[in-house]
Amino acid sequence: MGSAWTVIKEILRGSAITARHFFVNMTFHTLRLFGLRTARRGAVTVQYPEEAKPLGPRHRSLHRLRPRPDGRPSCVACMLCVTVCPSECLTVEAAEDPDPEVQKVPARFVVDLNRCCFCGLCVEACPVDAIRMDTGEIRLAALDRKALEVRLDKP
Amino acid sequence: MSAPKTVRLTIDGRAVEADAGTNVLRAAEKAGIAIPHFCFHPGLDVEGSCRMCLVEIEGLPKLELACSTVVREGLAVRTTTERVRRARRDVLEFLLAEHPLDCPICDKAGECRLQDYYDLHGRHPGRMLEPRESRAKKVPIGRGLILDRERCVLCTRCVRFLRQVTGTGELGVFERALRSEIGIFDGTPVDNRYAGNLVDICPVGAITSEDFRFRTRAWFLTRRPSICPHCSRGCAVSVESRAGYPLAEGERRVYRIAARENPAVNGFWMCDLGREGRRDIEAGRLSVPLRQGRPDPGLSWTEAAGEAAAAIGRIPAGERGEKTAVVLNGRLTCEELARARASFVDGLGCRNIFFADSRPGRADGPLLTAERTPNLRGAVAAGFSPRLPDLGELAAARVLLVFGSRLAEHHGGPELARALSGGPRTFLFAAHAGPLDGLAEMAVPVAVPAEKSGTYINIDGLAQAFDRSLEPAPGGPAEGAVLEALARGLGLDRGGGDGR
Ligand code: SF4
Ligand code: SF4
Ligand code: SF4
Ligand code: FES
Repeated sequence: MGSAWTVIKEILRGSAITARHFFVNMTFHTLRLFGLRTARRGAVTVQYPEEAKPLGPRHRSLHRLRPRPDGRPSCVACMLCVTVCPSECLTVEAAEDPDPEVQKVPARFVVDLNRCCFCGLCVEACPVDAIRMDTGEIRLAALDRKALEVRLDKP
Repeated sequence: MSAPKTVRLTIDGRAVEADAGTNVLRAAEKAGIAIPHFCFHPGLDVEGSCRMCLVEIEGLPKLELACSTVVREGLAVRTTTERVRRARRDVLEFLLAEHPLDCPICDKAGECRLQDYYDLHGRHPGRMLEPRESRAKKVPIGRGLILDRERCVLCTRCVRFLRQVTGTGELGVFERALRSEIGIFDGTPVDNRYAGNLVDICPVGAITSEDFRFRTRAWFLTRRPSICPHCSRGCAVSVESRAGYPLAEGERRVYRIAARENPAVNGFWMCDLGREGRRDIEAGRLSVPLRQGRPDPGLSWTEAAGEAAAAIGRIPAGERGEKTAVVLNGRLTCEELARARASFVDGLGCRNIFFADSRPGRADGPLLTAERTPNLRGAVAAGFSPRLPDLGELAAARVLLVFGSRLAEHHGGPELARALSGGPRTFLFAAHAGPLDGLAEMAVPVAVPAEKSGTYINIDGLAQAFDRSLEPAPGGPAEGAVLEALARGLGLDRGGGDGR
């Protein structure tokens, strides 16, 4: 008897919360309709993935290497990101560049998204601001693990 | 020789004893007080040009150089006063005013004195408004060395090394004042077998080596002490490697071999042949066991040793000593040689024990000996008289055990094949691949010297123990373990041995 009452109590409480949201949202939508109280909006359902909300300016999404003016990556293969990465998911192999002012460029730059925890420490560590996580690409599912090892040095 | 006189002085209020004739910098170092310095190197004459080592000495009005002040009885040195600290900061500020600050692409980063000292003694903001002087950043100076003049702090260690140690003097300081730069004389690049030391002694990243260039960063390296096995000097070296991240899982790479200090043998130096030894560890290794010349990953070394022991056991007891031949090599440690002697000579009564090693080269400079094996003295000490086998002696055996791949350097592949076909049952235990692999009934990989521990006796009779500096690949035992298994298989193991 006691336990049945607990269940009923919780159902009623849940319904009350849902009803509260309904009436609060309806109130704000109605006010907005009449041009009143526009600062706060009622909740809306976004039809993701057909529709997407804009990402915040500080979001962290798929990495990219910022290009130099001539299109090659600006990364100098210093491996500071490799060093700092707590998930040990970066692979950078350096190569020699004929330009003595550049000298060191990545021959291979791979981020293994299977392991990346999107902490953004690589972005913080980079001394030349080459790696960024601002592509806005957050849909990063794939059917096999290999496809999640992303090469960043090749477009 | 009488013991050098010691003098007593105080450094930072601490009473310190030092041999007469040493400088304040070394005396302080011995007492655990580090004085920053660029141009001083214990293996070279004092230059006194970088001014980084300034210290305060009681009774003297100006700061003095710790590198060129010889210790005297009752000297009172202070290394931590405000004046000293200021002087260090100012010296660094001048050095860094002209520095390109390209640490991200500099191979020295992580083991660079400029970085370390800036962190400890500098920490000043940059005040240079003028553009930095731009200089040549990639000058090949010979023997795979690259000079970056922007990074150079003109300590002249490199110049002094080539004048005082090798006596070849290929580098010099050209021009004067702000335009001073290190360079080679027209058309005569650095060309001696000790050039690799320049990379070690350059306190900044001005001289780097092509071999190491851009391959990893210094902080990833694991440095472990070992002894160079490429000639019979037995120089102390440090094997610098990395296993695992950022390499692939299970991958191991040896990035370089550097000199380690040992006043009794090599001082601070080593030759380039020893540095090249990185390739001996990395390349040309026998990686999978072979059975009749075909890769057989399932074949374990224990099985091969057991089979070899059984093959010897099948020879009638009276003929065993006659019909068994063993080829050892001068890379085996004293412990391994002693075990080989106990099993083959004392146990089996075997008279056919040979040695096959790299061909001798040319002795060169203060360290490199003509003999290119680390432990031939050890072989003699173990009671062997090393000599090469001729093909007839090998063909006459019924069971042939070969340690090492060098036999094929002395007898051509086809001749060996002819001698061994139809002749002895051959078992090969070698670290490197070679023509012999295909001729042996079983060939299994073993460790290189850097992957094992033991003792080597160098050309001067000095016994030096060393420890394993690299983890051997799984299934690649030290020869000592193979010898131990053989002794067990032959029923000769009297226990108490330590085959590592
Ligand atoms: S976001 Fe974090 S986990 Fe991912 S690559 Fe960068 S440092 Fe590594
Ligand atoms: S992305 Fe930045 S931190 Fe990473 S290797 Fe390139 S330059 Fe260095
Ligand atoms: S190249 Fe290196 S060792 Fe030679 S003077 Fe310059 S900083 Fe010193
Ligand atoms: S170390 Fe004394 S002046 Fe350079």
